[in-house]
Amino acid sequence: MTDAWTPLAELTLTTSESDVVFSSIGGSYRDLVVVTNIDGSAQTELFIRFNGDTGSYVSLRLQGAGGTAAANTHSGNGMRLVGNGDIKTDFTFNSVIHIFDYASTSVHKHVLSRTNSSQGLDLCTGRWVNTSAITSVTLYPATGTFETGSTFQLWGLNTA
Amino acid sequence: MGVEYSIMKKTLIERIDVDSSGESNVVFSSISQEYDGLLLICSVRNDSTNLTFDIHPNGSSADRTRTTIQGSGAAATAATGTDITPLQDSSAYTANTFASTSVFIPNYTGSQTKGFSIESVTENDATTSYQRLQAGLWSNANAITSLELSTASLFAEHSSFTLYGVSAGSDGSTSVA
Repeated sequence: MTDAWTPLAELTLTTSESDVVFSSIGGSYRDLVVVTNIDGSAQTELFIRFNGDTGSYVSLRLQGAGGTAAANTHSGNGMRLVGNGDIKTDFTFNSVIHIFDYASTSVHKHVLSRTNSSQGLDLCTGRWVNTSAITSVTLYPATGTFETGSTFQLWGLNTA
Repeated sequence: MGVEYSIMKKTLIERIDVDSSGESNVVFSSISQEYDGLLLICSVRNDSTNLTFDIHPNGSSADRTRTTIQGSGAAATAATGTDITPLQDSSAYTANTFASTSVFIPNYTGSQTKGFSIESVTENDATTSYQRLQAGLWSNANAITSLELSTASLFAEHSSFTLYGVSAGSDGSTSVA
């Protein structure tokens, strides 16, 4: 099982970017996993899109911030993976984003993400309301940019 | 997500097993700086009723904070603190059971604040058993070269701690920009 995850691409930003795009993703894996360590230019939310599509995305979030737990939902033209304020400007934002059955052309695409920052932590589930195979993944902050030194890694997960 | 971490492409750095004499602390030292992240998998029980153990990056108790969401079998709570604390099984819990924990630490070699993504559960044949998500932070510019794991009493025999190095990379066809 030690080689179940295949590294596909990695990037460490040398300049600020308004988004990061993994593209030309092959369809030979069962799932995809994105791992990030982000410094933001602003305290804001993280979103994900697939194939550049601005159609319909929905997500459900469980958050712990301070001594309070909260849950809420979101729908829009991008999938919200964390709630307001969870990207921070202090390099403390980490995420592991699992994208299930990404190459299927029969099912909507489901996402499970775990994110941490000095703002708190989130567990999110999301769904891209689309049956297309995913060939690109875009990550972007709701406002501002990802800052120099932020890292982004993509993995393909084999199950056979 | 702990299961996902467990199958992540990784390199075994070291496994530490606790013997019958017990251990009050366990240390991974001289950790190589060649990986993109660290993954720590723990199976832990202690010889008292303590329900957490402590993680000290580079042996330090300073600069640590955390946010926690926890379920107890009957209620959900959230809390903050100035330590990093996965769960361990109490000696009062069902015999031969151990708490299971994964700790993921990306970018452990950098100068930025280090994040600890923790998922931890206790095992007990009773209503009360805990499930914990924790975001730990070590706000220190030093790279992590050692991890000390300590408990107020003793880690019990058969507790184990396994540290992996996680490597990213490229398949040569997928691009990112």
